[in-house]
Order: sequence, then C-alpha cells, then structure tokens
Amino acid sequence: MNLAHDPWIWIGALLTLAIFSFLYRDNPFYKTAEHIFVGVSNGYAVTFYWHNILVPVLFNPLFRGRLILIIPLIIGALYFTRFIPKVSWLVRIPIGITIGYYTGVSIPAGIEASIIKQVQGTILSPANFRAWHAGSWGILWSVILFIGVLCVVSYFYFSREHKGVLKVTSRIGIVFIMIGFGAAFGYTVMGRISLLIGRLQYLFGNWLGVIK
Amino acid sequence: MKRTFPLILLMLFGVFGILPSFLPHPVIQGADEFVRNDLLRIITAFALVLGLGSLLRLHFEKIKRHAENWPYSWILVITFFITSIIGLFGGISGHGILPTRIGSFPFDIQTLYLRIEVPLGATMFALLAFFMASASYRAFRARSTEATLLLSAAFVVMIGILPLGDRISHRLPAFAQWIMDLPLVAGQRGIGFGIALGGLATELKIILGIERSWLGGGE
Amino acid sequence: MKFIERLTAIDRRIIYLLLALVTILPMLFPIAQKVRVMSPVEKCFNALDTIRADKALIIDFDYTPQDMPELEPMGLAMLRHAFTRRIKVLVLCLYVQPLGLAQAALDQIVPEFNNRAQSNADSIIYGRDYVFLGWQPPPLIPILGMGESITNVFKRDYYGNQTDTLFLMKTIKNYGNVELLISLSAGSIPLSWVAYAQNRFGVKIATGCTSVSAGDFYPYLQSGQFSGLIVGMKGAAEYEELLARKLNFQTRRKAGESLSSITFAHLTIMLFIIIGNIGFFMKRRKK
Repeated sequence: MNLAHDPWIWIGALLTLAIFSFLYRDNPFYKTAEHIFVGVSNGYAVTFYWHNILVPVLFNPLFRGRLILIIPLIIGALYFTRFIPKVSWLVRIPIGITIGYYTGVSIPAGIEASIIKQVQGTILSPANFRAWHAGSWGILWSVILFIGVLCVVSYFYFSREHKGVLKVTSRIGIVFIMIGFGAAFGYTVMGRISLLIGRLQYLFGNWLGVIK
Repeated sequence: MKRTFPLILLMLFGVFGILPSFLPHPVIQGADEFVRNDLLRIITAFALVLGLGSLLRLHFEKIKRHAENWPYSWILVITFFITSIIGLFGGISGHGILPTRIGSFPFDIQTLYLRIEVPLGATMFALLAFFMASASYRAFRARSTEATLLLSAAFVVMIGILPLGDRISHRLPAFAQWIMDLPLVAGQRGIGFGIALGGLATELKIILGIERSWLGGGE
Repeated sequence: MKFIERLTAIDRRIIYLLLALVTILPMLFPIAQKVRVMSPVEKCFNALDTIRADKALIIDFDYTPQDMPELEPMGLAMLRHAFTRRIKVLVLCLYVQPLGLAQAALDQIVPEFNNRAQSNADSIIYGRDYVFLGWQPPPLIPILGMGESITNVFKRDYYGNQTDTLFLMKTIKNYGNVELLISLSAGSIPLSWVAYAQNRFGVKIATGCTSVSAGDFYPYLQSGQFSGLIVGMKGAAEYEELLARKLNFQTRRKAGESLSSITFAHLTIMLFIIIGNIGFFMKRRKK
C-alpha cells in the first residue's frame, strides 16, 4: 500500500466515499457531498462565463465603442423582468428570439442529416452494397436493412389497426427493435461498469496505491 | 401585444434562421454572423445569470423558511460563493489578483474542478452501475418472445464485444458487430425517422405560431 | 419453496458488494487481454492517420467527469496519435464543464512528448503544433461560425492569447483547412456537428461516444456521415491497440487494463439476470 501524500487526493477520496455511502442509504455525508458538487460546478461555470464571454464579448468591445452591443445587452437584460410581475411578459422576447433562431436553423439541417442522408443510406444502391465490404453478402445485408427499416416504420404507424399485411410487417419490425434494444442494453451495461471502474481505479490506485 | 409581439419576433427569427442555408448573399451571411456571434452569445450568458439567480433564490428561501434539509443549502451557497470568488479574482490560470496557493497547496479554479467536481460528478454516475445490476436482477424477465429476443441479443453483445468472446469463438465478436451494424441500425433508423419527422412538424408549428406553450401562462 | 424465494429475494446490498468485488479483484490481479480491433474504430484511426500535412484536426472535447472513464482514454490516444504523426491539432469544447478535462488531457500528453524530444523540431509547441481554442457558447456559434472563420469565433484562446497572432491560425482559417473533426461526447453533439458543420461545409466527422449513445450513432456510421465511431472503453482499448500495432507507440493502456474488470462484471450481471429468471420461472410453474 502506498497512500497518497497529496491532500487533494484525500479530499477527493473522502468525497467519493461520501457519494458511495448512498448505496447503503441516504445520509448526511451524501447530502453534503451532493450540495458541494452543485455549489462548485455553478461557481466554475460563473468563472468561465465571466472571463470567456461577458468580458471579452460584451463589456470590452462595448466600452471600446462598439455601441451596437447595447441591443443584445438590453435584450439579455429582459430575462430579469421575469421577477417583476407587471412587466414579466417581456421575458418572452429573448426566449422568442432564441427559440425562433434555433428552430429555423435546425429545420434544413435536420431534414438533410436525419432524413435525406438516412434514406440514402437505406435505399438499395450499388454504393450501399459496397459499403458493407462483404462482397455479394453486402446485397443481402442491404436488403435486410431495407426491409427492417420499413417494418420498423410500419410498427409505429398507429393510424390503422395492425391487421393483415401491416400486422406481419409490424411483427417483423418488433423483432428488429427488440434485437436492437438488446444490443443497446449490452453496451449500456459496459458503459455503467466503466464509470464504476474509473472510480475504483482512483480509490485503489491514486489514493491507496494498491494498484499501479 | 404581450403575446403577439413575441410570436412575430419568433417567426421573423425563425425564417431568418432558415435563410443562410439557401441564400449565401453577403448581407444575409453578415446579419447571420451578428445574430449568432453577438446577439445569441450575449443573450445565452444572461440566461445563465438568470438560472443561477433562480438557484440561489430557491436555496435562500429554504434557509429563510427553515425548510427540510435547509442546512445543506448553506453548504451549497457557501461553496458556490467561494468557488466563484476564487475563479473571478484568481483567474482561469490562477494568476489573478487573488493568490491561489498557500505554500505548495494550490486552490485555483482548475484544482477545485479536478479535485472536487470531477470525483463528485464521476462518482454520482458510478452509482448507476450498482443500480443497473440490481434492476437487471429484479426486473429483467424473459416473459415473452420479444423479451427473450432482447435478452439474447444483450447477452451476445455483452460477451461478444469483449476479448472473452473472441476466446469462446472467433465468430462471436463478428456476430456481435453484425448485430450492431444491421438489426440495431434498422431499429434505430426507423425510430429516428419518426423522431425527425415529428421534430420537423413541431419546429414548423413553433415557427408558424401554432405551438405556443413556450409563451407560458398569463397575458 | 424457500430456495425459490431466496433466489428472487437477494438483498440489493449483497448484489452491490458482489459487483464491487468482481470489479476490484481483476484490478489487483490483472489478466492480460488480447484486444480485437473492429471496423468502426479502424475507420476512425485511418481517417486520422491520413490527414494531410497542410490540414488540421479538430478535437471537440465534450466529456464531463461523468463520462470521463470512457472518453478520456480515447482523447488521450488521439492526441498521442496526432502528435506522433505531427498533425496540427485544434482543441475546443462546446460546453463549460469539459474545459478542465481538456486542459488536463493536454497537460498530460504534451509533456510526454516534450520530455522525449531532443530538439525544438521534435517538441510539441503551443501555437505552432496545437492550439486550445477554449469554449464559446452556445454550441451552435462555433459549429456554424468556424465555417467562415475560426479566429472570428474564438477571438482569444483558452489562455487569453489573441488567436489571430498564433502561428498555426495563420494557415488554419476555417473548415476548408480542416480535414477531420472528432467529437468526444456523451450526448447528441456529434449529430449537431453532422447536421450543421458537415451539411453546410462538408467537413468529415468522426466520433467517440459513450456506450449508452452507441445505438443512436450507428445509423450515421452506416450512412457514411461518420467517418469512424469509437464506442466506450472497449473502443478506446481498440484504439490503443492500433496505436501500439501500427505506430509502435508503447505506453500505458488505461482502457485496455480495464477489460478484465468489465468482463467479470458482465459475467456477474448475466448471472444475476439468469438467477432472477430461474426464480421467476420456478415460481410461475409452482402457481
């Protein structure tokens, strides 16, 4: 065992154990650590918003004569009208601008990336057959993918009762969805275990010095 | 007016957001740059200030009313102010007007982040491994054909992606990869189309003023 | 009957303890594991490896402490890869939380190279070989803005230097000078890079993601929108394996070391699921 000499590692280890104590039951150590986390992370955010955004992007240029920045300053300040009941409706202005712009920008981007390109990846084309790098098996995989996507989409079509052909296709769709979810669950297990491993490596490696 | 004016603003900025994708004219691009680089950046910064203000207000109320767990609110407020002061006056790299070191013991903002926030944040999510194990044991049942399919795929992937899978059979990792490349893609793509089309419909409803929930209550 | 009930009623704390034990023991008694590299990681490796000398690589460090164990090994491996091949690197973050971790990664890797360097030419010099651009919210600003001018979006870098005075930024102006962008993220930010940066400006995107997000990104790998995909700790271990195999880069493989723990943990969870199901079916049969 080679215990750490750095006091910060001891602090980190004790905070880690405080969070892990929640596994037994909720307790004051866990609550304390939780509140420290929220306090420190918000303090960290404030630091960077001030040094990286408000000073170089707003205050410095404004005081150097770029007066057009008064417009975003006023619009941003309207957020605080939320606390004044008589004029609280003004908060809708910065919200409307933000939501409006983001919504507008995402429409063509979403159509291209999430619909058109995905359809291109699904259709039965020589390029898609070759993309599998599996020779003639690529044709079979592309056909299965094409059928699978259509069947999954048919499963989510609820405007008609799932009878006849629609019943068959939606059953096939369910099979694809279940296999996909199973695979996703398998990966999720690995993901969660990885997070645990990270913390145990810190405790047993950095703090206790039991592992290299 | 109180609802109409913001709706009109949203529609104008919504249409303006779409334009640069189709009109590469310098005037449009220049205006787009101003909206992105100046207007939205500064508005976003104020949104954070608002969020922080709301958080602090909530906890000061808890302290004032002596609500449940109110002493912990003091911990949050105190750590927030200490961290903010160290960051604001100590600087990002620890070379501000406030000294951020006592002998060989540093307490600059980067140290606070790496030594306090990282262990806490990482451990909170590490708890999920335990909850997932417990939930899998209690709730994961092969009650139907579909559930059995899901379970089987999960087992194949859980073993196949690891070196153990390669030891069991050289075909197992390839089979696990095939499950990711084909059935998973088919399932996720079908779901993705639904989400994309639904999202597109919602975005159009927002821009056209049909969807107004963002306005909130009141006049 | 008692046995069936015991089977389905194991105390959760025993489950937690068992899981902790099977994860800790392989760390104390490590077992060497041979890593098989799969095609999504190989694609990402090749995409980075073939970046031309006059182009740059952008790495978007967007992992938080919560995702660090899975994504940090990938980030470190990519930095090692890029610096070994003398590829120019721009590092940025789209959110504030990852900033400290991005700095920590650079603070770890750059000295690794400089301690071995025998001349200025061998060293990794800030401003010449890499730049840490920092963070400019909201995410859409840098994603769209860098298509026109990187220095317009990031007027100052993370350390406060004016970016247009840095040597590297005199040749790397916008996405036209960037051959590949890799996003290391736990969320859906890689899809934003694809939707905005790739669609409008044609930049190649690859991603390193957490295991939980893998399902969301595989369709984009299949359609060619991602040039490569590294998933979780296993993906990071594969990338480390490629670094060792193809570039003969010998260093501690943080992700690879964890594979034995992951293996035993997976087997334990599978056992829990099987035990739970045996108890369930036995109870059902009894009824």
